[in-house]
This record gives sequence, C-alpha cells and structure tokens, in this order.
Amino acid sequence: MGRMKFLCDIERCIDCSGCVVACKEGNHIPVGVNRRRVITIGQGQPGEKSISVACMHCSDAPCIAVCPVDCIYQRDDGIVLHDKEACIGCGYCFMACPFGAPQFPGGQVFGARGAMDKCTFCAGGPEETFSVKERKLYGQNRIAEGKVPLCAAMCATKSLLAGDADEISDVYRERVFKRGSGANAWGWGKAYKDK
Amino acid sequence: MKKILLSGLLLFLAMTGLAIAGPPETLTAAYQQFNALFTGEWQQYGQLFTGLQKDLFPRLFLLVITIVPVFFFLHYVAIGPMSFPHDGKQVYCYTLFVRIIHWLAAVSFSLLVLTGLLVIFAKLLGGGSLGIWARIVHLVTAVIFSASVIPMFLFWVREMLPAVHDLKWMLIMGGYLSKEQKAVPAGKFNAGQKMWFWLATIGGAVMAVTGYFLYSHQGNIDTLRLSAIIHNVLGAAMVALFLVHLYMSLAAIKGSLRSMISGYKAEAELKILHPRFKY
Repeated sequence: MGRMKFLCDIERCIDCSGCVVACKEGNHIPVGVNRRRVITIGQGQPGEKSISVACMHCSDAPCIAVCPVDCIYQRDDGIVLHDKEACIGCGYCFMACPFGAPQFPGGQVFGARGAMDKCTFCAGGPEETFSVKERKLYGQNRIAEGKVPLCAAMCATKSLLAGDADEISDVYRERVFKRGSGANAWGWGKAYKDK
Repeated sequence: MKKILLSGLLLFLAMTGLAIAGPPETLTAAYQQFNALFTGEWQQYGQLFTGLQKDLFPRLFLLVITIVPVFFFLHYVAIGPMSFPHDGKQVYCYTLFVRIIHWLAAVSFSLLVLTGLLVIFAKLLGGGSLGIWARIVHLVTAVIFSASVIPMFLFWVREMLPAVHDLKWMLIMGGYLSKEQKAVPAGKFNAGQKMWFWLATIGGAVMAVTGYFLYSHQGNIDTLRLSAIIHNVLGAAMVALFLVHLYMSLAAIKGSLRSMISGYKAEAELKILHPRFKY
C-alpha cells in the first residue's frame, strides 16, 4: 500500500490558481469555502515563489487528535477523510491544523458553522463509493476511478504532484537534477542576468 | 547508480544550503519561508492546544463530573446533611427581583453546563445534529446568562467582597466536615458562596468573551487557540463549583432551596451558618 501525498514544486508554480478553480468547480464546493489555495511570497519581485496548499494528509494528524466526535480518520494509504454527518462544526480541527485546511460554510441558523469541509484528495468520504450522497457531501471520488486528484490533474505546469510518496518524490528528484542548483541552476539569474 | 545520485543530491543540497543561506531566491530559503508561513506559529499555541485537547480536556471534565458527585455522595452518607428548625423566626434575605435574576441565571447556567458537556462528550452520542443543536442552545443561553449576571453582580458585589474571616471559614471547610453544629465565621455570604460568585461573574465574563471568539471564529488563529484553552480550563472549574452549589442547595442543607424561592431563611440556620450577618 502506497502513501498518498501532495508535492508542490515551487520552481514551477506560476500562481495561476487553476488548481483552486478545478477543485472548486469539480467538487461543487460551497461559496466561502476553499479546499485549496495558492500562497505567494515576494510578490512582484524577482525570485517570487508560489505554492499551492490544501490538506497535507499528515501522519499523526492534529485534527484527528482534537476532534471531539472522532469524525476524522486516516485511510491506510494516508488520506485523511472525515464524516460530515457526525461533525458538529466546533472548529477545533481548524485551530489544530498548521495549514488552515479545515473550512466551514456559514449561513446556518444563528450564524452557526455547518459541517467542516476540507480536501479529500478527491477520494470522497465514508459514504458508499460513487453514491449520489458521497458526491453531494464530499465531491468526486477520483482515487476510486484510478485518477489523480483534480488539482494535480489540471495543473498546467505540472508543479502540483499528487500520488504515491515514493513516485512523486522520484519525479521531483529528477527535476531538481535536470535543473541543477547553486551556480549551475537554470533560473532567473542565468536567463536574464549572467548570460 | 541510484546510490551515487542520492548521495550527490544530498551533497548538492548541503552545499546550496551553506553557500547561499541568505537570499530568498534560493529554493531552500523559499521553502523555509513557506514553512515559517504555514507552521511557524503553530509550534507556539497550535501545538499547545492540540496536546491539551487530545490528552487533558475531555479527561478533566470526566474527572470533574465523576469525582465531585462521588465525594458528595460519601459526604452525604458519612456526615450527612445539616438540618435546622424552620418553624422559628424567619429573616427576609432575598427580594423578589434578586430571586428572579437568580433563577434566570440558574436555569440558563444549568443549560450552559448541560450543552457544554454535550459538546465535549458528543462522541458518545454520535455527534451530528445533536451536537450542532447543543452549540446553538449554548449560544442562546450564554446570551441570557450574560444579561442576568450583570444585575446579579451589581446587587451582590458589596456583600461578596472578601474578608479576613473567609480564610478561617476555608480552613475549617465551612464546618461541613463535622456533624456538630457550631457557628462558622461568615457574613451574609460565606467564603464558598463568594468563590462561586466571583467565578460565575468575572469568570462568566471571560467565558462570554472567549466563547464569542470560538463561536464566531473572529480574530486570528492564535486568539482562537488561546480562547479554546481558557474556555475549557475555566469551564471545568465552573462545572465543579456548579456541582458544589447544586449539592449545597439541594441536599447538604435541608430546606435551603426554599429560601431562594420564598426569600426567607430561618434565624436558627443563620445563627450557625451566617452568624456575622446583620439583618
């Protein structure tokens, strides 16, 4: 059994936010909820870098540790999923998460939060696979279809990699070799400054 | 071949890390910046909150709602409740307004305790809509309690100020550990009632503020984490003293519940439990 992971190659990410749109559209995410977002540092300056981030499907995930109803669980392949029908919207997972992954739709009675929503690695939820209920509550189940998650599938620069940890780190390692690093790195400096 | 590649990569990474430590243009520095953005502050309060919620809070509440009643049960069996003759002279202690405010606070606070515990132990009940409703009732009753605790604070604050004899009362545990009825050092309110008053009013205000943050998710993430920690710790203390108050009024002193309904206390009871009270 593999270990599913996301890996974002920040040398390739161009902050197009295609992953965010793909996730939101493909999974019919409610307004105000973003399962995935792109963060940029040094915006507008040479050397600007962007990274796409969602639930990191942590080992020993803090959200699982704090949930008072134990509705968050981890599959054998490392994907962290949750049961929306057991969630009481207390928000503890949001406070425990280092990445801000758990999101809460608003607009309920007395301004209460609804059930938590987060990236499912496009692996649905605890409902029956490919059922209408699963699709309605959690979005697509592309892992069961044998596909990579929507965000990684649509990434134009292929900076966002999703899949088995060993395989995607191999892909990334080869890329780093080809690009070189340090003085030999092919990047901004070599292209525009030290020709 | 793969081994050579790997060791070469490690050497490369180490060299780049050493050679270009400062400028943010390097890959390593960029990843470090992202790391600081994501998890930098987590180590401070995020880790603290995660650890406490995982290992301490549910156990703390479980301990409070089991140990305190067991202790009182033993007290009831071993020492027994206090009983005073209620047919003698009656003293008017609580006006109608005071009683109405007290019962408004009492009912809303009881519901707060109940719904709060429902949220904490929601997993035993399956969570879901029950937990969501518990949180909504918690919000509504919190508003009612906050409104009733303000007049309560104002009309009792003078009599609730700590006094020197309160220390003596604490040392003899209010005389509840012995069967004989001896006058204890207390004015209109004893040290136990004072503790409960200050915890319910000032502590209640803190609970209201932290609860607002938790319910609305306003403010930054560290405010939320600290609010959750304070709300839980203070909540456990309030539940403990709530159970004490419940036991004292319902069981430990016979007929004390009646005084908050009619407003009258028996003089015989006041002579023992509140001898310094000038009426």
